[in-house]
Amino acid sequence: MSKRVAIVGIGTTGFRATTPDVSYRELTYEAATKAYLEAGIEPKDVDAFVATSEDFLEGYSIADEYCPDQLGAVLKPIYSITGDVIHSLASAYMMILSGIGNIMVVQGLSKASNMLTLSDMVTFAMDPIYNRPLKESPHAVAGMEMARYMYETGTTREQIAKVVVKNKRNALTNDLAAHGVLIDLDYVLNSEVVSYPLTQMDISPHSDGAVVMVLAEEETAKALSKKPIWIRGIGWCSDTPGLETRNWGEAIYAQMAADMAYKMAGIRYPRKEINFAEINDEFSYKELQHLEAMRICKKGEAGPLTEIGGTEIGGEFPVNPSGGCLGVGNLFELNGGHTVLEVVRQLRGETGKNQLKNVTTGLAQSWRGVPTTTGTVAILSN
Amino acid sequence: MALIERFQKTTDIGYWEGQIPMNYIYTVGRAGEKFFREIMNGKIFGAKCDVCNIIYVPPRTYCEKCFARLEDSYVEVGTKGTVHTFTQCYETFDGMKKEAPSLVAVIRIDGTDGGLVHWLGEVDFKKVYIGMPVEAVFKAKKDREGSILDIKYFKPTK
Repeated sequence: MSKRVAIVGIGTTGFRATTPDVSYRELTYEAATKAYLEAGIEPKDVDAFVATSEDFLEGYSIADEYCPDQLGAVLKPIYSITGDVIHSLASAYMMILSGIGNIMVVQGLSKASNMLTLSDMVTFAMDPIYNRPLKESPHAVAGMEMARYMYETGTTREQIAKVVVKNKRNALTNDLAAHGVLIDLDYVLNSEVVSYPLTQMDISPHSDGAVVMVLAEEETAKALSKKPIWIRGIGWCSDTPGLETRNWGEAIYAQMAADMAYKMAGIRYPRKEINFAEINDEFSYKELQHLEAMRICKKGEAGPLTEIGGTEIGGEFPVNPSGGCLGVGNLFELNGGHTVLEVVRQLRGETGKNQLKNVTTGLAQSWRGVPTTTGTVAILSN
Repeated sequence: MALIERFQKTTDIGYWEGQIPMNYIYTVGRAGEKFFREIMNGKIFGAKCDVCNIIYVPPRTYCEKCFARLEDSYVEVGTKGTVHTFTQCYETFDGMKKEAPSLVAVIRIDGTDGGLVHWLGEVDFKKVYIGMPVEAVFKAKKDREGSILDIKYFKPTK
């Protein structure tokens, strides 16, 4: 039987729209200090580190070179993953399974407020030869995907708007969230159209913050933590990137990533065997599309489930009790780090007013945002 | 988060402004060369994988499913297609509000598994629907320069 791996410490700065008082290094340092304190370790106890960075988003052409010191990883094995924090989590998990060490650290960061030309940066992710000459916003990609998703599933505009209302309200009672607000359905439906049918309120605003987590092999984990959170399954997948050939209605990447994680975790009926999920809602409709892709709902059923309150805190299958990207903020490569953080906090019973009752297994999912087709999934149990 | 003293204005907080000037050329590659030479002739080309029975538009030199070489398998695919999905976009690529919204669509070229992302023209947004038949409208031959913009837009087929 394979070794078991647990998260034994997790630290965060919380998430704010701007963080002018601290540098990106200090954000990571604060999260790292909290994570190490919780795990009762010092950086010297860590066998290897995995950071997460995207050069253009950090503003360095070799951002990974600027990762070690604020993590206590100078002169230690460290590398950075250019992807989502759940990719980094998978990498650290594999290092423990392969016997490279017993204690690993995973880091993720967003300093989105540093980017003065954020929209240009995202546009720069589009294909330079076939797409970029049109000079269209990546939000047009989201608008087109939303239109196709609604067409294929029969999901209504109101059902999608309900996701925004729910997640922004959940964020109000989440101490870590930056964008909580109490609004009604009409407010969302009447907000300014950005790329039809996508409106301003359907788009997650950005946030700054950092998350650092400490992973340990079973015996070490039990010695370090009274509440280890076990990694039961992990998966990741990328669809073809081309706008011309990709699937516009379904998030196949999320389906494949989830299937990989379910197989590892021995999960056959995700809706029954998983209690709740923190999933990517960078755009409101993505929450519904991802729920269906991961077989938590059948195609076209996520909207109706949301409409009757089934995904609320206290609903049949709570989704994004933290407030998700819509309520906490879009954190770019840290989005997966945030979903893992919130699943861990729920499984440990540390989320205060947003706490779910009797939860033992949660799903954390992420997506790399427009125009990508990359998804990641982690299944965690207490 | 650490605030050591109270600042009255965010500009009082220390920062350094920096730019990264980035200029590139992107070679279109062998499949791109075929596509853009033909677009100057008013034709759209794809690449066919006989094993998988897939036609890629834009063309490419390999099949992403079976990894076969497709460099000898370029096929003309016509200039007609259907609207696979579409949007009316009010935002510029750098995040500002557009003076007039644009009508952007994914056009599935008939008989293929690919297509092009392009504008829709000569049609009102309210009349557009998923599945609508459209055809490419090219720039005048003298104005074509081997770019995706050699197609002006797609318009509804009469």
